[in-house]
Amino acid sequence: MRIYLFGYLDDDFYGRVVLTPAEHTVADLAQQLVSWAPVTCRGALFVTNEAGAVLDPAATLDAAGLRNGDIFTVATAGEE
Amino acid sequence: MAILRDEWLDLARKVDWEFRYVDDRDVFPEELSGSPWLPRSAWKDWNESYRTSYREYVANQRAKDESVRSVRDALDKVRLVEGLDRGWLQLVKFHNGAFVLAEYAAVPSELRMARFGRDAAWRTMATLGALDEIRHTQVQLLVGHDLLRLDENFDWTHRAYHTNEWVMIAARHLFDDMFVAASAIDTAIQLNFVFETGFTNLQFMALAAMADKADHHAFEKALASIQTDESRHAQIGHPVLRTLIENGGKDRAQFLVDKMWWRCWRAFLATTGTAMEYLTPLRARDRSFKEFMQEWVVDQFVKNLEEFELDRPWFWDLFLEEIEFAHHSLQLGMYLYRTTLWFDEPVPDAAERQWLQSNYPHWEEVYGPMWDRFDRAWEAEGEAGTIAYALPALCNLCQLPTVFLRPGRNTACTLERDGRKYLFCSEPCRWIFEREPERFADHRSVVDRIVAGQAPGKLIDLHEWMGLGASDHKGKDLRRGLEPWRFVPVPKG
Repeated sequence: MRIYLFGYLDDDFYGRVVLTPAEHTVADLAQQLVSWAPVTCRGALFVTNEAGAVLDPAATLDAAGLRNGDIFTVATAGEE
Repeated sequence: MAILRDEWLDLARKVDWEFRYVDDRDVFPEELSGSPWLPRSAWKDWNESYRTSYREYVANQRAKDESVRSVRDALDKVRLVEGLDRGWLQLVKFHNGAFVLAEYAAVPSELRMARFGRDAAWRTMATLGALDEIRHTQVQLLVGHDLLRLDENFDWTHRAYHTNEWVMIAARHLFDDMFVAASAIDTAIQLNFVFETGFTNLQFMALAAMADKADHHAFEKALASIQTDESRHAQIGHPVLRTLIENGGKDRAQFLVDKMWWRCWRAFLATTGTAMEYLTPLRARDRSFKEFMQEWVVDQFVKNLEEFELDRPWFWDLFLEEIEFAHHSLQLGMYLYRTTLWFDEPVPDAAERQWLQSNYPHWEEVYGPMWDRFDRAWEAEGEAGTIAYALPALCNLCQLPTVFLRPGRNTACTLERDGRKYLFCSEPCRWIFEREPERFADHRSVVDRIVAGQAPGKLIDLHEWMGLGASDHKGKDLRRGLEPWRFVPVPKG
């Protein structure tokens, strides 16, 4: 099942709609968002939910509690 | 012996009826006249300073129209219009689409006050207000029509409100809330007091001053003549607000003022803020949008609040922070999504960047690297590398992209209601939604419509759905234009 989420890169300037299968992992989600970014991100990616809790990168989106219409933020360790 | 004006005018303006066979509540139902519903006696002191008679009104309006038309006839020769700055023409196209038919939508709203306003002088003033709004529509349609010979996208002057273009959905959402679907009291406070007293100076006087310096004198005259009308019929708002506050309606008044202040601010940062600082030629800029906001809008609004002993809106600190940044952030988004607009957007050049830095001390540090990326993308990948392909997340209240206040400062938030999740660009938009959820909950943003299958998800089809069918009708980079491949027809099926 596909869900839609609102993704934000923490040093970017706007949010994007992300359509993704709920069985994908949090790490997959981070990569999907980063691939649209105007810069190439390097290093570890951290995904947080709207409450600011860091999500387990290996967890599925469903297990991580991400549902239709939720916000997530990806923080990057660096960019080039 | 003739009766002097001041001997009959107040009597004439206050002529009213006492109803023998029906109750005032039936003649002025709360749904249309507004809340709180006050007894007739509460409105007896309603007054405004212009006190214009119909005869004076007609004479004044005729003189204003003559003035606009004589400037147009004398100065809008083809060779003069063709000499207008290219960025300025985009600004006029943007302004015309976003505002002209909103004037027309305001006609029935003024007429609603002319029928359901609770005082005869209020109704008289609103009747003149309705005539004003018709004139504003006509005079600006004329400006747009004259420019069609330069650019056929000036038909968006008339067309924009009839499309599903995302800026126009945002504009309709705002104006529906402000006056199309508002009672007489709510319209007086939201349209006349907040929008017209608070903000239209910016759109009509500041822009008129810029039009003069950009040598677009027909537009300048049209805007300036509109603002003299706005100043008059905006006076409806003050006595309505005063009556409400003096009769136990202060909480309602504070809410309406706070709500509409935030909504107007979001609309003006998106339209006037971006247009003034990215589409206006440098020679026409004598002040920044921030300075206009502080001197012409904020200072005046604070004085008005003090006059009525109202508090500053609870989000005042956020609003002040946004003045420095928010329109610059939105401009980045508008450039990135320019193919979804009916006007062109530029990458600021070196001189413009210097001007922005001199007016916004953080501009180069915060926004310079973002614009540099676009320049590098143009060099490496051409136009295709500078356009966004992912859908932007849209606010379920203001309908604008949930752009960060500034890069790295995200204010987006959500709310769950009846099993549906709503997204907001900021806490004030969420607060407005939460106060009147039944008013806003059923509306779907463009993104909601795509997700629900009510709008196409494919970008090319989405352009068509938004009314932007042909390649050269879509917004493009102002200086670089379109790449030739865009003119190759897209195979169907």
